[in-house]
Parts: sequence; C-alpha cells; structure tokens
Amino acid sequence: MLSGLLKDYSIFAPIQNGDNVEYDPITPATTGNIIYNHPKPSSPLKTFFLPVRENIFTTSNYKKRIIIGCPACDLAALSILDEIYLNQDYMDPVYSKHRKNTILIGTDCHSINEHCHCTSYGFNPWPEENADIILTEIGENIILKIISEKGQEFKDQHISLIQEANTKDHQIINDLREKTVKKLNEKNTDLPDYTITGELIAQSSENIWKKYSETCVSCGACSAICPTCSCFLFIERPEFEKVRSLDTCQYPGFERVAAGEDPLRPLEKRFRNRYMCKYVWKPQKFHSKACTGCGRCIEACIGKINKNDLFRELKQNLTVEA
Amino acid sequence: MTTAIVDLYKPVKATLTRVIEESPSIKTFVLKPERNFSFKTGQFIELILEGIGEAPFTPSSSPLVEDELEVTIMKAGFVTEKIHNLNEGAVLGIRGPYGRGYPMNEMYGKEVLILGGGCGFAPIRSLIYNLEAEQDKIEKLTFCYGSKTPKDCIYKGYIDHLRSVKKFEVFRSVDKADASWDETEGVVTCLLDKININIANSVAVVVGPPIMMKFGVQKLLDMGYPENKIFLSMEKNMSCGLGKCGHCMMGKYFVCKDGPVFTYEEIKDQPDIWK
Repeated sequence: MLSGLLKDYSIFAPIQNGDNVEYDPITPATTGNIIYNHPKPSSPLKTFFLPVRENIFTTSNYKKRIIIGCPACDLAALSILDEIYLNQDYMDPVYSKHRKNTILIGTDCHSINEHCHCTSYGFNPWPEENADIILTEIGENIILKIISEKGQEFKDQHISLIQEANTKDHQIINDLREKTVKKLNEKNTDLPDYTITGELIAQSSENIWKKYSETCVSCGACSAICPTCSCFLFIERPEFEKVRSLDTCQYPGFERVAAGEDPLRPLEKRFRNRYMCKYVWKPQKFHSKACTGCGRCIEACIGKINKNDLFRELKQNLTVEA
Repeated sequence: MTTAIVDLYKPVKATLTRVIEESPSIKTFVLKPERNFSFKTGQFIELILEGIGEAPFTPSSSPLVEDELEVTIMKAGFVTEKIHNLNEGAVLGIRGPYGRGYPMNEMYGKEVLILGGGCGFAPIRSLIYNLEAEQDKIEKLTFCYGSKTPKDCIYKGYIDHLRSVKKFEVFRSVDKADASWDETEGVVTCLLDKININIANSVAVVVGPPIMMKFGVQKLLDMGYPENKIFLSMEKNMSCGLGKCGHCMMGKYFVCKDGPVFTYEEIKDQPDIWK
C-alpha cells in the first residue's frame, strides 16, 4: 500500500540506522524496514515544520507528506509550536503550509529509551493530540485508529479496511499501554512533575547552575534536538529574501543588543535560561507544555549534562532545607 | 491572513533621501518609502540592508507623516555601522510597524513628564511630535533630557522649537559640561529636582540607556509616581517582530509583541530589565 502512496506523497517513517532510529524518507525498497511502536526517533518531528534552514520566500518544499510512527512526545510538542506559529494575530504562512500538507500517523510506544520521561510531565506514551491516525502493530496486524477529519479523508481515499478491530485487539492495546506506563513510572519515580520543576527552577540558587553548566560547551545540541525549542534567526539574502535558521539561547550573543549589553553572557545564566523558558516563562504565556519529557537533550549532550539529575538535586535540596 | 504576514516579513523598499549628522556617533536617516508607511508612536520597525542584515529601530519622525520616515541611529554594532556608511540614494527595506507604542490615551488630560537620555531622544521625538499635534488634549509637557557632553546633545534646532511651545518646558543636562554649556551639569535625574509637576495628575515616560532608566525609575518612584504611571520603552534584540524568534524574550514577555512600551508595574518582576 505504501508504495502506491509514494506517487502522491513523500513518506517518512522510523528506520533503524546502526544504533539510531530516524524519521527517514521511505522508498519502495525500504517500506519493509519501518519500525513500529518504537520510542522517539533521534531527531525531533519539529524539523519537518521548522527545518534547520529554510528560505521563507522561495521555499517550494510543499509536496504532501505522510509521517508515520510519531510518538506522543513529538506530537504533543507540536501544540506549543502551533500556539507560537499559528498565533491568531500573526500566523506564520510557511509553518502553516507545512502543517496543512502533512498527515501525522502517531504510534503507541511499546518500549522506552533510557531517558524517556513523558509520564512524569503528564503525557501518556500514546498519541493524545495532533495525530491524524494512530497506528499500532500487534503481531502480524496493523491496527489503525482514525482521529482527525484529515485522517478520515486519507483513510477513505487510500486505505481499504481488512477487518474491524475486535475487543481482544483493544485489550491487547490497553495492556501494552499499561506496561509502558509502568516502565516509565518505575524509571522516573523520584522526578518532580512539570509544575513543581518550574517552581524549583524559579527558586533555585546560582550555584547549582554553575555546577551543572561546567561541562557545557554551548554547542546548542539540546535545543536543536528539542521538539519544542523553536527560536530562530533571520539571515538576509539578496532581493530582500530571508532565510530562517534555527537558533538557540545557548549560543553566546543570542540576546545581545546593539549597545553591547548581553544579559545571557555568563554561561550559567544562559544555561539556566533554557529551563526558565521551558518550565517558568512559557507556562505563563501558553497553554501547552514546553517540555514533553522525550529526554533527547540528555542523550544529545556532549557534556553529559542530565537535566533530570539537576531537577532531582533541586528537589532533594528543598527536602533537606525543609 | 496568510498573505498579510508574507507582507510583514517582506519589506517595503525605501530610498534614503537625506542624512543628518546629529552628533559624532548619531545620524538621522530620512527615508522615502515606495508606498505610504504608517506607525503609531513608540512602535518599532526593522530596517533592512539587503543581503547584510536588519536591526530594530523606533522611528524618530512624526507618526502623522506617512510618506516620509526618519530613523535616528547611533553607530553601535555591525548593522548600524554599515547604515552609517550609506549615502543618499541608497535603497533599504523597512518592515513593520511592530509592537505596542506609547499609550496616548493615558496622557490626555495629564501633565506628561518625559525623561530621556542619549539616543533615547529618538523615539521620544516621535512622541513629542504627536503630543505637539494634540497639545489641546494635555495639561503640559515637561521634558528632561540628558547626554554625556554638549557635543552629544542631538536635535539641537528642535530643542529651540520645543522651548517656543507654550505648554512645553525643556530641561537639559550633560554629565560633563564645557565652556559652551549654560544649562545643568550632572546626571539627568538631577533635573527632576528642578521641575514643578502635579504628580497626582501626571504620567511619566522614560527612555534611554538601561542604567539611566534604572535610576530614573527609582527616582520617579521616590517622588511618588505609581508603578502603573511610569512607561518605559525597552530595548531588546527584537528580530522577527512577531513574538516567534525568541531573541527579545524578557521573562514571560516577547518585547517585540507585548511591548516595547511597558509600564514599570508590568515588567518589574521580570529578569534583566536593565541589561
């Protein structure tokens, strides 16, 4: 079925590449290699909507797309991007077009990666927002649940149903879901939740940020790989064209003004800024959470900084003080 | 909607028709946009050098004039240095206007106090043009302006004009005077000791370098100005102008979209407001 769709759509799905699983373009030869029900791919889903670099005046990458195998953390992360980029007053036409042209096929996670912690922040390891269709592989069977109108249209056009899922299938899906939740909860028992994390960060002393930023080299990998980090830089091109390039507050000079003041010049302040943004400031501005617990920033950090260790220590310090 | 924002990112071309030297490091650039361009006083624009870069500025001209735009720029960074090297006839891009400007409604019926320093006079001049046009609606305007030395005082001819407007009073200071200076010597806040103003019926506007704004606000609070009657025009690294790119985040605010004009009450608990 997928091979037939390739005429009209670009299809992306999780494929194993050595140790990595990535959202890779699917060809007729690789449709059999798709991994279903896997936790998040190495790179975030956001890059389909906010590419690392894009000329926003000439971008023509508008072929319809299907992205298969999006886990809940990646899908939930689109909610805050939508709040920012599809803002009623200033809708971003490029982001909006990418969103409209993409069918998102979510998937339940049947296993977890070392740093997965979605349940700690109130998300379940199965798609509950932004998916058009949810796909689960059980044994030989693929079970689809149609969620959105877009998903329904897609199904009507392209998918011929073999049979209706039965009670037993639903039971299996639910059992698998419960298992994944249990694994996540056991792994992250002592991790403070999203709101408490915000309070801990807001009250924290400077020392802990100095301690944890000691090995930070300002490479920005944590932001690049984050499914909700969405800051960007404009690069001017001839003919007054603009290239949008993903940027991060972790780079020196991000907030520097012409007169030279740069509030984020000290490394520990810059390092803390990213967490203040995610857990303190964004919650004051937006409804959607700015961290969905995917744990990619921990995996990507070449300084081996683990934000969850930091938050655990903040929590512990508070307990000790009390 | 979609086309509207493409227009917002796409600049209006504007021709540089005149360059006025205001001080050794400050010039005013008079621009003729290819179509009328309107803004509210205190809103900012992005000024674009094709293929090079763009930077945010608050126009210094009257918001009532739509076929010409003036931007007063201090040579301070990469883009501003390139702009300073431009000659008449150059074509630039402008996009915007962005953000929330000065709240004119708050000023009607009031004694307006403006405290400005250095290049902060640029956005203030646009506000004063607006107040002059609407002088029937305000009680009076007291303008206190400070700069480093007499040479750094900008808009010299305009100051003379302001002194001739009946409802306006102007006080100036320089940090370091010379033989040519017959006004006050000292930091700009010392001018606040000279003014006579009914604070209960007054609003204050403060624009200038961060350190000046910090001490200016402190002094106004000591004088009895309520926090919500002190308006500040904040300088951050505004880039997209639409609350998306993140460069101007000041705690929970995007300065470009939620500001750049804020009351002190709104921003007092946010981080790094004076940096």
